[in-house]
Amino acid sequence: MTMSAVAQEAMAALSLGVFVRAFELLLGWSLLLQTLEQWHIQRLDRVSDWSVQRQEVPTQPTGLLALTDALFARPGPYLAMLGLRGGLAVLLMAGLLPAAGAVALFAIALLLLLRWRGAFNGGSDFMTLAGLTGLLIAHTWGAWAGMAEGWRAGLWYVALQSITSYFVSGWVKFSRAEWRSGAALPLFLDTGVYGPLAPDSVFRRPAVARLASWSFTLWEGCAPLVLLDPRIAALFCTVAALFHFLVFWFFGLNRFFWAWVATFPAVMYAAWA
Amino acid sequence: MSHTTLLTITLLLFGAYFAWLAWAMRHRTRVLQGRWWFFLRAFFPNWKFYHAVGRPPRLHVRGQQASGEWTDWQLVYPRSQRALWHLFHNAPVNLALNHQNLVDHLAADINDLPEGGDIQASVTYPLVARLARLALPSEGAPYQAYQFELRLASPRGEAPERMLQSPVLAA
Repeated sequence: MTMSAVAQEAMAALSLGVFVRAFELLLGWSLLLQTLEQWHIQRLDRVSDWSVQRQEVPTQPTGLLALTDALFARPGPYLAMLGLRGGLAVLLMAGLLPAAGAVALFAIALLLLLRWRGAFNGGSDFMTLAGLTGLLIAHTWGAWAGMAEGWRAGLWYVALQSITSYFVSGWVKFSRAEWRSGAALPLFLDTGVYGPLAPDSVFRRPAVARLASWSFTLWEGCAPLVLLDPRIAALFCTVAALFHFLVFWFFGLNRFFWAWVATFPAVMYAAWA
Repeated sequence: MSHTTLLTITLLLFGAYFAWLAWAMRHRTRVLQGRWWFFLRAFFPNWKFYHAVGRPPRLHVRGQQASGEWTDWQLVYPRSQRALWHLFHNAPVNLALNHQNLVDHLAADINDLPEGGDIQASVTYPLVARLARLALPSEGAPYQAYQFELRLASPRGEAPERMLQSPVLAA
């Protein structure tokens, strides 16, 4: 049997349930890591000040300000909310999360947006929210149309958000002269939290920087091609995992790594479906 | 409807969606403003990461010691030692990146300030002031006062441009 035939047979053996379990495991893991970090950050952060931040919380709907005051003015209720989130993340990983748990995770995500002024770490929050929205769609639509239909809709939503993120990120960079020349790469790597780059880093060589820039901007821009074939999707996700690891390695963005990896089962499902 | 027709329609719809995205990237779109848009912007991500080099804002701080002498201006910017286990837990770095986002927010708030507006009345300003105060080096302590500046740096080595200088603040 050829490798291609083996791959095709393996793909045929997959079912919606496999993608759902993989998605639940990875999203739950990502949420759990983020929650443990937030718990630690509560002790570290001496800059946030709810008495200042509350001034920009919308006064409508009525009761929102009182709710956020109750949750964020003192550490106890906030930590209890994080504890609940961590518990729900474990249930999600175990495949035991009820629909009410999906609603609660989504609601906590909204409250965290208010606590952290719209985002704690930008893109990773956005993709985590996309995952949680997919989870919410799966459970709410599933309650009405059956869980299989719900999960199909939820996974497609997550897959589309994930593919869109690569597509936009790639082509926006590709439209910039400084990325096409490779000049932008060492400039950004110098700003990384683990930077600056060593003076003799290979990324300071213009040819290497240009090759690396073209490689990953074109690769990102071609993300929609994953929908054509599950093998392309598998290859894309493998390269993406390596790409996100490198982003972590240079910029310290560990949350990005897990937030995007959690969407890969949805991307694979979209290609498989 | 046959499976092939359905597949063709689906692929055409996806093609149209990504073509529309490509068009939208090349055209200026309306900026939505308001408190709810600010808090819920995560639902409408633009997915543009590190796309333009530009002139990023950087926070600088100096402190006035008990003797009345001022320290030199110090750059406040997150740097850390890399470790593989940070892939699983990286709270101090993520908090530092969040604080750098505050600096970016302050620059954006200054740019969006209406004519005659006061940046000190914004929510971001006192938070950045706290960040600056906490960033004063411990070896010069105690401080009686401090001051911070927001400067637009140049990754290409041009001279930085001062965007904001705070008044002298009690430490």
